[in-house]
Amino acid sequence: MRQNDIAAISPNAPVILEMSHISKTFGAVTALVDVSIRLRKGEVLALVGDNGAGKSTLIKILSGFHRPDTGAIVYQGKQVHFGSPREARAVGIETVYQDLALINDLSVYHNMFVGREYHKHVLGFKLLDNKKMRGLARTYLDTLGIEVPSVSSTVDLLSGGQRQSVAVARSIYSSPTILVLDEPLAALGVREGAHVLGLIQNLRQQRSVSIILIVHNYNQVFEVCDRINFLHSGEIVLDASTAETSEEELIRIVKSGLGRQAV
Amino acid sequence: MPPSTQTAPKATNKVGLRVPTTALETVLVILSRYREASIAVVAIILAIYFQLASNGAFLSSQELSVVLRDTGRFGLIAVAEVMLMITGEIDLSVGSTFSLAPYVMVLLSLTWAFPIAVSALAGILLGLLIGLVNGVITVSFRVPSLITTVGTFFLLQGVVVSIYNSQPVVAPVQEPFNEVFGENLYGPADSVWSLHGLTAFTPFLWTVLVVVVMAVVLNRTTFGLHTIATGSNIVGAREIGVRTGRIKVYNFMIAGAFAAGAGIINTTQFASADPLAGGPFLTLQAIAAAVIGGTSLLGGSGTIIGALIGAFVVATLNNGLVMIGAQATVSDIYLGTAIIVAMILNVQVDRLRARRRL
Ligand SMILES: Nc1ncnc2c1ncn2[C@@H]1O[C@H](COP(=O)(O)OP(=O)(O)OP(=O)(O)O)[C@@H](O)[C@H]1O
Ligand SMILES: [Mg+2]
Repeated sequence: MRQNDIAAISPNAPVILEMSHISKTFGAVTALVDVSIRLRKGEVLALVGDNGAGKSTLIKILSGFHRPDTGAIVYQGKQVHFGSPREARAVGIETVYQDLALINDLSVYHNMFVGREYHKHVLGFKLLDNKKMRGLARTYLDTLGIEVPSVSSTVDLLSGGQRQSVAVARSIYSSPTILVLDEPLAALGVREGAHVLGLIQNLRQQRSVSIILIVHNYNQVFEVCDRINFLHSGEIVLDASTAETSEEELIRIVKSGLGRQAV
Repeated sequence: MPPSTQTAPKATNKVGLRVPTTALETVLVILSRYREASIAVVAIILAIYFQLASNGAFLSSQELSVVLRDTGRFGLIAVAEVMLMITGEIDLSVGSTFSLAPYVMVLLSLTWAFPIAVSALAGILLGLLIGLVNGVITVSFRVPSLITTVGTFFLLQGVVVSIYNSQPVVAPVQEPFNEVFGENLYGPADSVWSLHGLTAFTPFLWTVLVVVVMAVVLNRTTFGLHTIATGSNIVGAREIGVRTGRIKVYNFMIAGAFAAGAGIINTTQFASADPLAGGPFLTLQAIAAAVIGGTSLLGGSGTIIGALIGAFVVATLNNGLVMIGAQATVSDIYLGTAIIVAMILNVQVDRLRARRRL
């Protein structure tokens, strides 16, 4: 499915997220310099850039994992300060981290529900409802067409691609408002990668969830994204809709290290 | 057997699961699947050995009450160490909390005439506070808990010996507190089924109750799940919203409270608070129980039931060898060997799992 199969995002679509003038340093390392990004409802935004450009740092600020040195985040019209990933998840921002954040010693279904467990009350005690979580995880993974040996096996038994699929499934399970995917295709085979891209494309078609997608493959960028933000050495050097730019231009920017300013 | 009928091909497991190939791997796989069962087998063999070697005296009610009393004491602390070890931390200060809490309890009752139950509660609160301090220093100031708790160990040990010049104090006996938390030692005239006989086992029974509760907490509650997540992958756990710092602090507080509780039960049973009752040796025996029970220090996994069985093994070695006439110090040789062997196995099992081979 090429991008023109899906109606372009309306310029009037409400802005759901605005991160403005974000800077972040780690000791002597400057990771982000005055970065601003804007995400509309239903939009799929590609965040691209070289290794070490600051992509993961930016999305970890959004997810509440890091706190920015300067800058503000306005989410659904209100300024927010996330003290921890818990707070961001609670308001509908889900993230698939580059490291996947899977707990090796826990089962697939516990991994799916860590941080938002289902409980049952036994003699007045709040215990985990493992049966319910196991069932929900199994059905949900089946619905998405994700294959794992068993939802009860620990995730360290899974292959790299299966792990990545589980992490993606976990993030979309709760129907988030914003979905952040940090290189979700890195460990996937051609077929599985296409499958996850298909999932993203489906979400995009419904235009109900806004997505920030970090990928290195420009083909994939043009396949599923509405806009591109190019990050270079901690600064945004390009902000353009995929309809207005091309792979050639991106490659030119990569080579020159220079950008053209936002449209 | 005709040559054409080869042995059946190795059972092909589900996708992604590797079947163990070498004998060592097979043993490790069995150990990892049935951790508690394998240590229980060791415990039973030990009990049988001492029963035979002591001409049937080991499993007498009287001797057993001593072994189980020690099992209770080590077990209560070992359970807390298991929780901490799962988060990737350790508490070496439990031995001094064990001495300090009951000492404070007794002094409160003697000096201000607090009912002993109230003083005991104060002792537990003190344990919680010690755990809170250990936890906050470890988490907020990023001091390794090995160091934090060596520091608090010496500090508290110094405090408790300086209060009364290292003198033990006689603890007041108040019913029903003493009946509930350990009244007596098993006498030759006691029958197991008399209430008097049964109270000799109360320290152990309390520990069994705590073990059951903590096994449920670890395996069936959100707190337990987050405890495992914290030790298994601390960055990942934080990324998905687990409050790893808090989880660690709470587990330090559990350790403090359990050590205080074990000390209070000990004092109640002996009607005496001894500033040297705990000490470094008790800490190490409790950790030995946790390790022999099948918990490694790598974090992310551990067994509560195993800790209780491990405590029984430690208590059995301590008392059994003395019983069959060995020098008291000989038991340390066996204990030391047991710890090292158990730890090698634990680490190998965890390693294999980490390499996704089980
Ligand atoms: N926790 C941290 N402590 C110190 N430095 C960090 C930390 N996280 C990131 N950095 C540094 O910040 C810079 C940006 O890193 P970041 O992970 O955001 O890059 P990236 O664009 O995601 O790269 P990649 O494509 O390789 O994932 C790098 O120089 C990195 O070394
Ligand atoms: Mg990155």
